[in-house]
Amino acid sequence: MSQPLLQIEGLRTVFRSSVGEIAAVDGVDLAVPRGRTLGIVGESGCGKSMLSLSVMRLVPPPGRIAAGRVMLEGRNLLELSPAGMREVRGSRVAMIFQEPMTSLNPVHSIGRQITEAMRAHDKTASAAELRDRAIEALKRVRIPAPERRFDDYPHQLSGGMRQRVMIAMALACRPALLIADEPTTALDVTVQAQILDLLRELQAETGMSIILITHDLGVVAEMADEVAVMYAGRVIERAAATDIFASPQHPYTLGLLGSIPRLDEDRERLLAIEGAVPPPFALPKGCRFHPRCPFAIEACKAAQPALEQIAPDHLAACIRAPVEQAVELVA
Amino acid sequence: MSATTAETAVPTRPSALRLLLREPAAAASLAIVALAVLCAVFAPWLAPHDPYETNLVAIMQPPGGDYLLGTDGQGRDMLSRMLYGLRVTLGMGALSLAFGGVLGVLIGFAAAYYRRVDNLLMRLMDILLSFPAILFGLAIAAIFGPGIPSVVLALAVATVPLMARIARSAAITVLGLDYIEAARAQGMGDARLIWKHLAPNCLSPILVFATLRFGQVILLGSALSFLGLGAQPPVAELGAMASQGRTFLFFAPHISVLPCLVIFVVVLAFNVLGDALRDALDPRLRI
Repeated sequence: MSQPLLQIEGLRTVFRSSVGEIAAVDGVDLAVPRGRTLGIVGESGCGKSMLSLSVMRLVPPPGRIAAGRVMLEGRNLLELSPAGMREVRGSRVAMIFQEPMTSLNPVHSIGRQITEAMRAHDKTASAAELRDRAIEALKRVRIPAPERRFDDYPHQLSGGMRQRVMIAMALACRPALLIADEPTTALDVTVQAQILDLLRELQAETGMSIILITHDLGVVAEMADEVAVMYAGRVIERAAATDIFASPQHPYTLGLLGSIPRLDEDRERLLAIEGAVPPPFALPKGCRFHPRCPFAIEACKAAQPALEQIAPDHLAACIRAPVEQAVELVA
Repeated sequence: MSATTAETAVPTRPSALRLLLREPAAAASLAIVALAVLCAVFAPWLAPHDPYETNLVAIMQPPGGDYLLGTDGQGRDMLSRMLYGLRVTLGMGALSLAFGGVLGVLIGFAAAYYRRVDNLLMRLMDILLSFPAILFGLAIAAIFGPGIPSVVLALAVATVPLMARIARSAAITVLGLDYIEAARAQGMGDARLIWKHLAPNCLSPILVFATLRFGQVILLGSALSFLGLGAQPPVAELGAMASQGRTFLFFAPHISVLPCLVIFVVVLAFNVLGDALRDALDPRLRI
C-alpha cells in the first residue's frame, strides 16, 4: 500500500489549567489513505473535535499541541510557519462544522463568502472568474438555480442548504482532505441522508479523503471505510468499519454498539455504559475505561494498555482482547 | 425553497432605517441632525451677511429688523456667525471622532484578536480613561497653545479608550462565533478575517456609540472653546460665541443664549438618534 495521505503520530494536545496540564488528545496515531473515509467515534469530550482542530492547527488557547507529528503529503504540518499553515488550510485540508446555522457570516451573501474562500488561496483570479467558479461550486453541491442563489444571504436558506454551502466553500479549492466535524448532527434525518450521499458522491468525483467525526454510529456504518474509536483522549480501537460492527474487540466499543436501538432485534432495553467519561483532570490509573468496564480485572488498574494488533488490520487497546474470551469467562 | 424565519433575520440597512423612522422622536432627531449638517455645509451660501463684518452703528441689536437674529457686541450678524459657528463646531466634533474612533476601533480589535496584548492595551486605555476630557484639553492647550487643533487632539485622545472598549467587547462576542472559526479553517489571513468578517459584524454597537459620542464631543468642544482653549477670536464657534456674549448677558441675552440653544438642540438630537439607532439595529427588538 502506498503512503497514506495523512499520518498522525503520537499527537498530544494539552490545555494549561489551574490543576496543571490536561491532555485533551493523548498520544494518538492514525492514518488516512487517499480517497478513503476514516470515521472517528466517541462520546462528547473524548477529544475527537480537539484532534481535528489539532490537524488544522486551530486549537484555541490556552490549548497547544505538545508533541507528535501530523504528516500530510509527506510534510509535517506542525513544523510549518503560520503563513505556510494558512496556505494549507482550505487548499489542502478543509473543514466543515456541526452548526450550519452559525458557520456562515450573516452579513455577506453566500456567493461572496465562497469567492472569499477562493480568494484566500488565489490572489490573481478576476472577480468574474471567481464568480463563475463559485456558481460551479454551488452546482457541484446540487444547489438548484445557483446563479440566483449566489446573492442570497444565509438567513434565506434552510439548514440543509446552508450545510451544502459550507461544503461548497470547503471544497472550493479542491482540498485533498476534508474534515467533517459532526456534519449532520444539527440536521433532520432526511436532510442528513442527503448530505451524506452528497459527501460520498463528491468523494467519488474528486478522490479526496474524509475524516468524519461523529458520535452517530449509524453515520459511521454508512460512510466510513475505517473506524477509530476514541475514549478519554486516546484511540482505543481501530479497524475496518465492517470489522468494528461485526466483531468489536474493546469493551467500550461493545458498549457503544449495545447502546444503539435496533429494529431487527427484540430487546427489552438498551445497554447503557455505567458511569460517565472521566474528566481529563481526574483520569483513573491504568486503563482509562476500567472503572466502567464489565470485564475489568486487577491488571487493568496497573498499566495503560497499548494499541495492539489482535487480528489482521484490527487494533485494540485492551489486555482482555480478543473480547470473546472475556465474555466466556464472565458467563 | 425559502425558509426565512424572523429570529434569524439579519439587520439590513433598509429595514433598520424604516424602523428608525417609525419612531417620531427618532425621525425628528434625524431631521434636526440632517438640518444641522446641511446648514454647516452650506453656511457660505445660506449666511445673509459676512460673519466677520462688523457694523459699529448696529451693535447688540435684538432679533428682528435688519438682522434676523440680531447682532453681537461688535455688530456682527448673529445668524451668519451661528451658521459658520455650527460649521466649526461640527467639524471639530467630526474630526476628533474620526481620529479617536478609528484608533479606538483598531486598538479594540487588536486587543480582542491578539489576546497576548489585550491586557497591556486595555490597561493603557484604563489609564487614559481616568483623565477627564477637560483636563486633556487644558494639558494639550498648555503644550501646543490654545486653538482648534488642540481641541480636536484632546477630544480624539479622550474618545480612543471609550471606543476601544466598545470595539473590544463587540469583537470578543463575534470572534467566539462559528463563522470566524470556519473562515480560519479556510486559511484566511488575520487582516482579511478582521476586515471581512469581524468588522461588519461589530458595526452596530460602534455606530450607536459614535452617534452618542458625537453629541458629547460637540458639547465638550464647545465647553473648551467657552473656556478659551479652543477657537480663538474672531473665529465664529458656538462655544466661543456663548463665552463672548456673557459680558452682555443682561443687556443682550440673545448673544449667548442663541448659540447655547443651538448646541443644546443638536446635542439632544444626537443623543435621541443614538438611542433610537440602538433600538433599530438590535435584532432582538425586531417584531
